[in-house]
Amino acid sequence: MGFLEVNDLKVHFPIRGGILNRKIGAIRAVDGVSFSIEEGKTYGLVGESGSGKTTTGRAIIGLNHITSGQVMFEGKDLTSKKSKTQHVRKDIQMIFQDPYSSLNAKKRVLDIVAEPLRNYEKLTKIEEKLRVQELLEQVGLNPESILKYPHEFSGGQRQRIGIARAIALKPKLIIADEPVSALDVSVQAQVLNFMQEIQKELNLTYLFISHDLGIVKHMCDDIGIMYKGRYVEEGTKQDIFNNPQHIYTKRLVAAIPDIDPQNRQKQKHLRDEVQMEYQQYYNDYFDNEGLAYRLRNISDSHLVALPEKG
Amino acid sequence: MWKFIVRRLLITLPQIVLLSILVFVMAQMMPGDALTGLIDPNIDPAAIEEQREKMGLNDPWYIQYGDWISSALQGDLGQSFRFKMPVTDLVEQRLINSFWLGLVTLIFTYIIAIPLGITSGRYNDTMRDQLITGYTYIGFATPLFIFALVMLWVGGFQLGWFPTGGSVAPGLEPGTFEYALSKFQHLLLPGLSMALITTVNTVQYLRSEIIDTKQKDFIVTARAKGASESRVYNRHILRNSLLPIAAYFGFEITGLIGGTVFIETIYSYPGMGLLFMDSVLQRDYSVVTAVVLLFGIASILGALLSDIILSLVDPRIRIK
Amino acid sequence: MANAHVDTAQTDTEVKTPSTWSIIWREIVRDKVALISLIFLVGTTGFVYGISMFLEQSEIVTVDLFAINEAPSEQFWLGTDYGGRDIFGQLIIGTRNSLSIGILVTLMTGVIGVVYGLVSGYYGGTVDNIMMRIVDFFLILPFLMIVIVFVAIVPKYSIWSFSLIMTAFLWMGIARLIRSKALQERELDYAQASKTLGTSNFKIMFTQVLPNLSSLIIVTMTLNLAANIGLESGLSFLGFGFPETTPSLGTLLGYARNPQTLEFHWWVWVPAAVLIFLLMLAVRNVGEALKRATDARQRRG
Repeated sequence: MGFLEVNDLKVHFPIRGGILNRKIGAIRAVDGVSFSIEEGKTYGLVGESGSGKTTTGRAIIGLNHITSGQVMFEGKDLTSKKSKTQHVRKDIQMIFQDPYSSLNAKKRVLDIVAEPLRNYEKLTKIEEKLRVQELLEQVGLNPESILKYPHEFSGGQRQRIGIARAIALKPKLIIADEPVSALDVSVQAQVLNFMQEIQKELNLTYLFISHDLGIVKHMCDDIGIMYKGRYVEEGTKQDIFNNPQHIYTKRLVAAIPDIDPQNRQKQKHLRDEVQMEYQQYYNDYFDNEGLAYRLRNISDSHLVALPEKG
Repeated sequence: MWKFIVRRLLITLPQIVLLSILVFVMAQMMPGDALTGLIDPNIDPAAIEEQREKMGLNDPWYIQYGDWISSALQGDLGQSFRFKMPVTDLVEQRLINSFWLGLVTLIFTYIIAIPLGITSGRYNDTMRDQLITGYTYIGFATPLFIFALVMLWVGGFQLGWFPTGGSVAPGLEPGTFEYALSKFQHLLLPGLSMALITTVNTVQYLRSEIIDTKQKDFIVTARAKGASESRVYNRHILRNSLLPIAAYFGFEITGLIGGTVFIETIYSYPGMGLLFMDSVLQRDYSVVTAVVLLFGIASILGALLSDIILSLVDPRIRIK
Repeated sequence: MANAHVDTAQTDTEVKTPSTWSIIWREIVRDKVALISLIFLVGTTGFVYGISMFLEQSEIVTVDLFAINEAPSEQFWLGTDYGGRDIFGQLIIGTRNSLSIGILVTLMTGVIGVVYGLVSGYYGGTVDNIMMRIVDFFLILPFLMIVIVFVAIVPKYSIWSFSLIMTAFLWMGIARLIRSKALQERELDYAQASKTLGTSNFKIMFTQVLPNLSSLIIVTMTLNLAANIGLESGLSFLGFGFPETTPSLGTLLGYARNPQTLEFHWWVWVPAAVLIFLLMLAVRNVGEALKRATDARQRRG
């Protein structure tokens, strides 16, 4: 039994139309996604915008309605009636992409960080204040600033407040939805390293959603690549970066910038080559609708969406 | 396109049904019923009861509602107990008077709004614009009935330029030129008073619309291509700003209805509004019910008309 | 605005930042017209409520047949009406009554409209669709006439039933406004975050989303106050607001429906007309200043 297991998850959004506004079709944002995460590891979910990676994360935490499929967390099915899973939900928390809109501008830091505590733990005012100060210290902020408003902090600091809020209930799994893509590059590394620190400290498991392969390489143990709502490839970090099999993954990996100017020509050449291959063999790797095939094992840890033929 | 119109029509029907139910409930709450106005109070109570039974006044409410709505559909809105005549006949003449008042008001509204709005928007932040904005500022804060009172006091009584009541001078033969002229004279002051206040909305809308459009890229492009200033305004800006205004006139009907109650009362102009006020005061409830129902349907249809015109003019509406 | 504080954020101790109220206050003080309007409003309100504590309403509305339609004099500062009642006293009590009902109706429509709009916008989808069709229907009714009919047929008519009737047909505007804003707010990450933190929908609506709508609510309610004062006086003018025994600014104007009074006894109705005009102008000025204060782009200073 895995820590988090997602089986054939589907999230479809209805398209309405006609005179009576009936459902006339569906957008398949997530269309049959399966993966599992081990406790204490970081799982990276990668894809371009619109690939369904964020929707997957939001579906797991319950923000999007799940059309079909199963989400098992420590053996409990999260897709069953909400009331039963209420206490499980507190073990899963989320870090949002935009540190500006994810903190309520009208609330003080104290109220923001204490919100989950007020929902699940009965603390007195003083206990609560101490706990919030403790959390702020843990994320590297001045515990004296609990009466300030979010707009008084920089982007990186605000994301730390978001993290403090997410770890307040001592969760086991944190879904991090592009946690640094709204931040300046200089601050990104700071926040990422800090996330790794608290992961060790609190034995957290991350579902790390990102479009940036460089960051994913830095953060993740296992990686899944999504395209148009389906998986194209899944494997360990080594599998994906050293031995990409699917044409889409190859292109993504080739696109990671290399800072060494010596390699610039080589890199450009490689990219052109992959691009050629991508255009040439596109029809071999995707079906008529341009969607990925079913995943097939090519090693114990490595799965690739390849057509059924021999 | 047709999809939007059909959907919009589908909403209209339940609206009218709901309105009729509301009006019916209101009529039920009113003291007295259709019989009260008809009979002599000295008749024996048993006979009244018999009469009630015969007229279906003891039936359950939904049967009564069905009877009421089916006779209303056939043009029978009951009897006025004050005038001792069918409400339909009573309403007819008043409706025509109110129609003229509404028409004159609408015409005035647009005659005032369009030049003022265009001037104000085209030459914004100049002296002219400030004068016009000052007018809309005052207009927004002035209640219609106060303005109408002042207009009547000044124009009707102090200066004596306009008649102070009625819809036509007495003793004139219908159909003659003098008759028509007198009708028009009686419409001028009420129409103008209402238009001067209701127009400020349109002036302001037009102004901000023009100022908005002025800065859009396609206007800059038109200028860059060397179009003359008057061409830019006539062909590009006005086309975009005036069409919505023309479409809004259906919504104006709802506002007009509220306004006529005040205006007709103040100028004792014999239209629907005055009929309504008199009937409420005299407790002539079958008339009251009929007027509310008719005005309600008028504003529902006005909104329908505006929505359809707007959807023709502005494709963005259709997507909703 | 955010950047100015970044550097000091870590070093400062528990400091409070300017609240919405202090920003609004600053804006109004800077705007001379709004400031004068506010002073006028506060002054008038204080004056009429203060003075009316010493005035006996029943005494003022008692008919005095020896002083009918008297022009302003030393005894009656603003003259008397056709029943010999002192206009000045009626004006004071009338202003108080008009203000009271305006405030009462504004508050009641505000509460209903905000809650309705919030629920509709927050839940969205089918709930929103049904709730908004109801609003559309109410908006389309010939509101003035229906209010008049209800006022005419309600038994045991009082100030309370009057304001309830007005409220019943005036809550839709603010509901619509709040709904469209709530529809946007609920998609923002902070509302979504609250859900993942286990906060109930009810709590998110009223403790998370509502504070973010506060400035919109304040502005709308202020502008509504002006409209409601106008509407009350209009209804009273037609004879379907306050009864004559409870003077309001509208009942004073109502005397002018009599052409005799309109033409020859101007002192009966002109002061009330001027006062209504000034009150509405002042409330609007304050409202517009609030609007500018809460919209950072339009702020003057």
